[in-house]
Amino acid sequence: MKKRKVNPVTKLFVKLLGNEKYQAITIPVFAILISLIVGAAVIAALGKDPVSAYTNLLQGCGLWPKPKYAGGKSMATDFFSFLNYWTPMIFASLAVAVALKAGLFNIGVSGQMLAAGFVSTVLIGYSSLAAPIAKPLVVIIAALVGGLVGAFMGWLKYKFNINEVVSSIMLNYIVQYVVAFFINTKFVDPVSRQSKNVSDAARLTLMGTEIGGFKYDIPLGIVLAIVVALVIKFVLDKTTFGYEIATVGLNRKAAQYAGINVGRKMILYMLISGGLAGLAGATYYLGYFSSIQPKVLSATGFDAIAVSLLGNSHPLGILLSSFLISIMGKGKTYMSSSAGLDAEIASVITGLILLFSACGAFIRYKVKRAKDNMAEIEKANKAEVNE
Amino acid sequence: MVDKIIIDGMSFALPLFVMAIGGIYSERSGITNLALEGLQGAGAFVGALVAFFMMRSLGADSQLPYYAAMLFSMIGGMCYAMLHALLCIKFKADQVISGVVINILAMALTEFLTKVVNRVVIGKPSNKFDLGVSQRWTVPGISEIPVIGAFFKNVYPFELIIAVVALIAWYVLYRTKFGLHLRACGDNPHAVDAAGIDVAKIRFIAVMVSGALSGLAGMCFAYSISANYSSGIYLGYGYLSIAALIFGNWKIIPTLAACLLFGFANSGGHQLVLAAGLPSSYSDLIMILPYVLTLLLLVFFSKHNDAPRALGEIYDKGKR
Repeated sequence: MKKRKVNPVTKLFVKLLGNEKYQAITIPVFAILISLIVGAAVIAALGKDPVSAYTNLLQGCGLWPKPKYAGGKSMATDFFSFLNYWTPMIFASLAVAVALKAGLFNIGVSGQMLAAGFVSTVLIGYSSLAAPIAKPLVVIIAALVGGLVGAFMGWLKYKFNINEVVSSIMLNYIVQYVVAFFINTKFVDPVSRQSKNVSDAARLTLMGTEIGGFKYDIPLGIVLAIVVALVIKFVLDKTTFGYEIATVGLNRKAAQYAGINVGRKMILYMLISGGLAGLAGATYYLGYFSSIQPKVLSATGFDAIAVSLLGNSHPLGILLSSFLISIMGKGKTYMSSSAGLDAEIASVITGLILLFSACGAFIRYKVKRAKDNMAEIEKANKAEVNE
Repeated sequence: MVDKIIIDGMSFALPLFVMAIGGIYSERSGITNLALEGLQGAGAFVGALVAFFMMRSLGADSQLPYYAAMLFSMIGGMCYAMLHALLCIKFKADQVISGVVINILAMALTEFLTKVVNRVVIGKPSNKFDLGVSQRWTVPGISEIPVIGAFFKNVYPFELIIAVVALIAWYVLYRTKFGLHLRACGDNPHAVDAAGIDVAKIRFIAVMVSGALSGLAGMCFAYSISANYSSGIYLGYGYLSIAALIFGNWKIIPTLAACLLFGFANSGGHQLVLAAGLPSSYSDLIMILPYVLTLLLLVFFSKHNDAPRALGEIYDKGKR
């Protein structure tokens, strides 16, 4: 009998990706690498240098030094700005993830963000409160408003069996138009056609802080975002409450039998999810930005769905995936100005990353097949030697 | 005023409806389709691209580019939908993720390509394709009848196309063997498989149909709303049509009712603001009418809202 051999390429892949224990990390990384390679090919096809384009992305985020900086700016300036950009994405993705864990699909994150951002802008942003009172109030009010909108969706589902996807799409529109109405009639800045800027005291970014001769916009929300992510990880993994969420998410009927009041819990979960979306709104409209553009929903709430799933709906995974996607979003402006590439190419690469990551289950399946196949061949070969 | 409500309402409701039919095809076969938003944009991009090139060679007066755009938007939507089908069926991706990703990718790709094509062909930086104004038809005689006549006045040609497509789609889904198989795939794919029918193939076709119909809808929106194609096409109407089809309980006729409600509430609101002589910012407030109305109606009609039973599940033969 002829001795069958294993293809060395397959062997390499199985060796790299075959360990089930690390697949939660290795497979997304593999998917990301592939998409970066495909992206590089696209950039090369446009006649530009992919390595310098990718470096530009990092430079735009302050993760790699630029060749030169304007007066009063340094790499840290870019990095702080990047952190500020990253923060709402973390909160929004956590909002999606918490709902997903409970088997609910919150597609209304953008609307909840807008509602929360608008209410805290009007109540606190336009007030003359001092910073130590204003900043915490912004956070609390935003979380509350977002939470209430989320809870309302949960209540509609519990009470009237209204699919949360429909109610959140409807609420997205309602919030968007109502906010636009109030901005246009009461709070509009006649020059920018956006809402008037919030006061620096209320803003969750310390604008133009001077340290050692350099000016920084220091984001405060990022600390909160990371703390919240860790708290959520702890609650989901280590507490009864987290166990209940998972039970409701995996099997609603079984949860009911186990004595969990599923209907009421769903309202609570949507409250939490909405609250997180509210925090995203606060750090977006009163952090990275300081005004609201009427009649526009931020794309963050929709991107967050993909980011959350790329991060396996796990808080730590989300920190990583949102970091990566934010690099693309934030760095693209610098890339387009310094490499002469369209900024949209970064969005295309983002899309590719998400696309390949979505195929994670398939990659896992293929690797498992190859692994089983290899084991079989080796067994056959061994048996032959013994004969 | 009533005439205007009907004319504008129909031109908004029908594209929404045809997109929702696509969604129904996909979801009744068991594939969750959040990708409608991206499919309509991608389809309309292909249609607009074809119209753009045809208008350059035929001149602005020809009506041919209009119909070519309709056809190619369907083809484009269909091809792009294959990506969703591949991900969901062959690569066993989570259908919700796939849908969202398809949307994100569509927005990025079409925006990027629109820019590139404009730069290469015209040599000017522009992020849109001008499409020219659509023809509008008025049927002589019938259009003189009060109220009902408005349905035959200032009609966009695409409304007729949609009516025909919708009729065919309804017939195929409810009156043919294929339609029966498709609906069965969404409720009990294992039984369909046991009967010797290829579940994957039927679902693949269903998703492609949804792509074609969404593409058509996107093209209609491009002609009726802005007379050009740009990234402004992503107004969230894809999500709205998903809401319509869930509201319509995954059935074509009730979904039509939901779309008409959206359409008439929308145009009615605009006319109300005009008639009351309010400043235009009040139209924002009136614009929430269709959505509030929908929520209210859902309160009464949601008790028997049943999604197809196998919706969103990855079909695994081994589980049978």
